[in-house]
Amino acid sequence: MEILEVQHIEKHFGDTQVLSDISFSLEEGQALSIIGSSGSGKTTLLRCLNFLERPNHGSIAVRGNVIFDASDPSTQAERDIRQKRLHFGLVFQNFNLFPQYTALQNVTLARELRAKERGGESREDIMKAGRDLLDQMGLADRADHYPHQLSGGQQQRVAIARALALQPDILCFDEPTSALDPELTGEVLRVIRSLAEKRTTMIIVTHEMAFARDVADQLIFMDSGVIVEQGSPREVIDHPKEERTKQFLSRYSNH
Amino acid sequence: MLSFFSSAEFQTVLSTLNTGFVKTLQLFFVTLVGAVPLGLVISFGSMSRIPPLRWLTKTLVWIIRGTPLVLQIIALYYVPGLKGVHIWSGGESGRFTAVAVAFVINYACYFSEIYRGGIQGVPAGQQEAGLVLGMTKRQIFFKITLLQMIKRIVPPMSNEIITLVKDTSLARVVALQEVIWMGESFMKGNQGYAGLVWPLFFTAVYYLAFSGVATLLLGKLEQKLEYFR
Repeated sequence: MEILEVQHIEKHFGDTQVLSDISFSLEEGQALSIIGSSGSGKTTLLRCLNFLERPNHGSIAVRGNVIFDASDPSTQAERDIRQKRLHFGLVFQNFNLFPQYTALQNVTLARELRAKERGGESREDIMKAGRDLLDQMGLADRADHYPHQLSGGQQQRVAIARALALQPDILCFDEPTSALDPELTGEVLRVIRSLAEKRTTMIIVTHEMAFARDVADQLIFMDSGVIVEQGSPREVIDHPKEERTKQFLSRYSNH
Repeated sequence: MLSFFSSAEFQTVLSTLNTGFVKTLQLFFVTLVGAVPLGLVISFGSMSRIPPLRWLTKTLVWIIRGTPLVLQIIALYYVPGLKGVHIWSGGESGRFTAVAVAFVINYACYFSEIYRGGIQGVPAGQQEAGLVLGMTKRQIFFKITLLQMIKRIVPPMSNEIITLVKDTSLARVVALQEVIWMGESFMKGNQGYAGLVWPLFFTAVYYLAFSGVATLLLGKLEQKLEYFR
């Protein structure tokens, strides 16, 4: 079943058209990679899915429920947006960990606040779930470290655990390794790969072509705010049809 | 030398200045307790998305920061009476209330600008991270932004607080009996000691001790917040 259906999304900032007629869908348990040069609109697309930006046109449906429709104000009520955001998790390029909290607190904070609001989970359960997630990320021994005491790769893995803590339907990554030193990208990519093996539904904006080809079930190439080409990674990367895709990929061919 | 410190004159001066210093301390703490939260309200006003509210707040801050505090004290204390509205009770307690109100407003305006800098200095990514985790604006402010803002504003706030220690002396312009007023009183013949200048100079010791303690405490706070970056 399709877990995500994005239709005809458009976004402009003032006179600048950032996204034009973006449509795609994603099956549950699949990983979608989005590639394209900087300024092609990849990040804005992720931000639209997470309600950090409001599309000017188009609709977004999760599991068949329309959660956003630019032409239907009833889908845009401020009070519902908080809940709708939780369909998606977002891992930022710059981690954006909360510096005053330990790794474990970063992972558990939002879940604890929710439990306080609407009851349910005990603090012990939340802590245990948090420790399990850090363990999955290979960070069991870093639970009580503050972000500034961790390497970039470790920080990003904490950020992934934090996003997973709220059990989103779809986990989004915005260039998760772009802010890392080259020797630290491997540990983050390994974690994402292991999530893909567990059939976590993911959208991964990345510049790591080899990684995208390996991990993704579906690949989108974007340029100037439009989807130029989409299909299986092997189709798009190894046998691109469009001239723009070929040009873009040729810049990576030496890598 | 020792006999000087135990002399009746010195004891009289000391106890008089102590009385004044208690008033100084009261004004200091009342100002802090009032201005620290009021400053936050004003800073929210100056960052408001509602333009008229923003302009109104910015105008207030401009007027308060753009005119001398001493003038604000005089105006606040005398103008209502001149207009026939006697909002301040008579005597020392009325003077204290008027002066305290002037101080709270004045310092709140300065604090608000420090807060604004502190809040805007917290990277936007922090708020976005909170939003995508389903947190409310309120939760984001209190659980994420506030402590990072406090860490940023401790050094400039220390500056303002040390200034406040000494600014309390401006209250003497409406004859509030704080420590400088008390020191000066000896020049005018308080308790028969006409023409004594040294008690006035001696008030400096009080200010130095006070600002010394304030510096130490604020330094401790800064250290406490060093656990994160």
